[in-house]
Amino acid sequence: MSSELRGLPAAPGVATGAPWIYRPLVADGTSRRSLADAAEAASTELEGLAARLRDEGRPDEAAILDAQALMATDEALLAAARERQDRGEGPADAVILAGNEVAAAFEALDDEILSARAADVRDVAGRIARHVSGAPAPRLERRSIVVAADLAPSVTVELNRALLAGIALEGGSRTSHAAILARALGIPAVVCIPGILDRSAAVAELAIDGDAGVAFLDPDDRDRDRLAHAAALAAGQRSADDNFRARPLATADGHRVLCAANIGHPDEAAAALAAGAEGIGLFRTEFAFAGRTSAPGEDEQADGYARVLRTAGEAPVVFRLADIGGDKPLPYVRIAPEANPFLGVRAIRLADAEPELFATQLRAILRASKVAARPASVMAPMVADAADVARLRRLVDDARVAVSGAPLPRVGIMVEIPSAVLLAEQLGAMVDFMSIGTNDLTQYLLAADRTNASLADRQDPLHPAVLRAIAAVVEGAGGRCEVAVCGEMAGDPVGAILLVGLGVDELSMDPTAFGRVKRAVADRSRAELIELARAARELTSADEVRALVTDR
Amino acid sequence: MAEAEVEVRNPSGLHARPAAAFVRAAGALAVDVRVANLTRDPQKEVSAKSVLGVMGLGVARGHRIRLAADGPDGETAVSTLAELVASGLGETVEGE
Repeated sequence: MSSELRGLPAAPGVATGAPWIYRPLVADGTSRRSLADAAEAASTELEGLAARLRDEGRPDEAAILDAQALMATDEALLAAARERQDRGEGPADAVILAGNEVAAAFEALDDEILSARAADVRDVAGRIARHVSGAPAPRLERRSIVVAADLAPSVTVELNRALLAGIALEGGSRTSHAAILARALGIPAVVCIPGILDRSAAVAELAIDGDAGVAFLDPDDRDRDRLAHAAALAAGQRSADDNFRARPLATADGHRVLCAANIGHPDEAAAALAAGAEGIGLFRTEFAFAGRTSAPGEDEQADGYARVLRTAGEAPVVFRLADIGGDKPLPYVRIAPEANPFLGVRAIRLADAEPELFATQLRAILRASKVAARPASVMAPMVADAADVARLRRLVDDARVAVSGAPLPRVGIMVEIPSAVLLAEQLGAMVDFMSIGTNDLTQYLLAADRTNASLADRQDPLHPAVLRAIAAVVEGAGGRCEVAVCGEMAGDPVGAILLVGLGVDELSMDPTAFGRVKRAVADRSRAELIELARAARELTSADEVRALVTDR
Repeated sequence: MAEAEVEVRNPSGLHARPAAAFVRAAGALAVDVRVANLTRDPQKEVSAKSVLGVMGLGVARGHRIRLAADGPDGETAVSTLAELVASGLGETVEGE
């Protein structure tokens, strides 16, 4: 009998094949080769795989394997493995454990990019161990769906592409190496499928839908029909969305809403604008603060900020002041341990204890604005009431005195705390714009921790309570200040339709969402969207709201 | 002893590709050059010939590194590597 398992879509397309279960080698004590010879063999093999990727026009992925080829013969790894061997461990075990040690050290450095590289180190150590034990390289015999906990790029590349139909992973994420490489090579993939490793051991055939994120075990004719239908539909939708990418964000009768991009690093600005962003609606500045032992200086910050302003040209750029808190402690910011960091001393609440942190950042933003000769917009997260706005205003005024001659900045606040919703009229009169962070607003409004997976069904921003909160903010602003939305809701076609109907002036989202959001909004007139949003507010659950919007 | 300090301006710091380019260049030198990440921990020095050591320094964009080497050829070795880092190790970096 057929059954299906849900995961997350990672690379589009539909595929069918025999399950081929890949598990990294567990050393069995046999050794056919010395450690040095095995390391040399692994390194040569990785160089060959890198060359193959370069020939296919994938230099970014090739670079990962090139670096791995160097790791394989790195003295630091081999010395640690030899030391373990001298203590009596088998050579394959020794190198796997030495690799784990190096990988753990990478992960301990609290640097996202480096943490991702930890998997590369483990993969290299596993490859050396395979050569030590003389085990054969993984090999597909027929058209297969590869099933694994996670899949290193080096393994994806060395499998016979003609037989590699699709990838189904128990772990991984949309941004893991395996997913990125699958998308680049056009291999359909689904990740985060609980139980897929155990369940596929007993089936003859697997099918996956990389657009919906579903795996079918022993698919029957009905499943096959559904998959064929889904494949055709997804391909059609993608090309329809693409047609809207370059158009303005507007309703069928021409009511315009500003289409802005969320970015987290200066390097992302150019791509966002090329994708059609009319502004940077949310520039998260935490990148400047993470992974270091001392606070970033004014010059260093100003460099990065000026690059974004220059790249943006005439388009507005909203700098969000660093949202630092106890959930991701920084060695140079003193925050006492807290039971609830999301309700703790974070963001603007740190302004009294760490005034220099924000003063330096604001001076850097104003200096960048002066150098680029473009006005900047600044906003503070976690604003609860008028005292917080006054705090922000004071900080901005002080920075303006310190950096004379900078263009006058626009000053705004994030609306994510319920008190700010209730006080929207008061706060709106004190600022140039308000930007609603729907992810945090939903978490605080429904008292449902975003990091707690068992509350996932209580974190839907389509909840009527969230819609009413947004309506209250728009009403409170009363046209005296602009209202934007920069949460994930803005990039969801259903959410975007409702937000335009609720009367927001700007939607800021990941640039990949531009096409689908523009297409959804262009489908109806402004009056229809206002009516739809009004009706949605009267419903009793997020599911009802989604059904109302998608059924029309 | 020869020494040089240089800021890393590569978008993702000294990870993967730029780290590999750096280590390959260091491996081609007769001299052993030591590297430390001044922004994170000036005390921790690793060999410039070890890709795992260099990556383990956690050098992010904007971090400053110190290169050091002994002996008569140390000066040339250090300045060769420093120039290579300043030029972006084969990646496009934006200067100010």
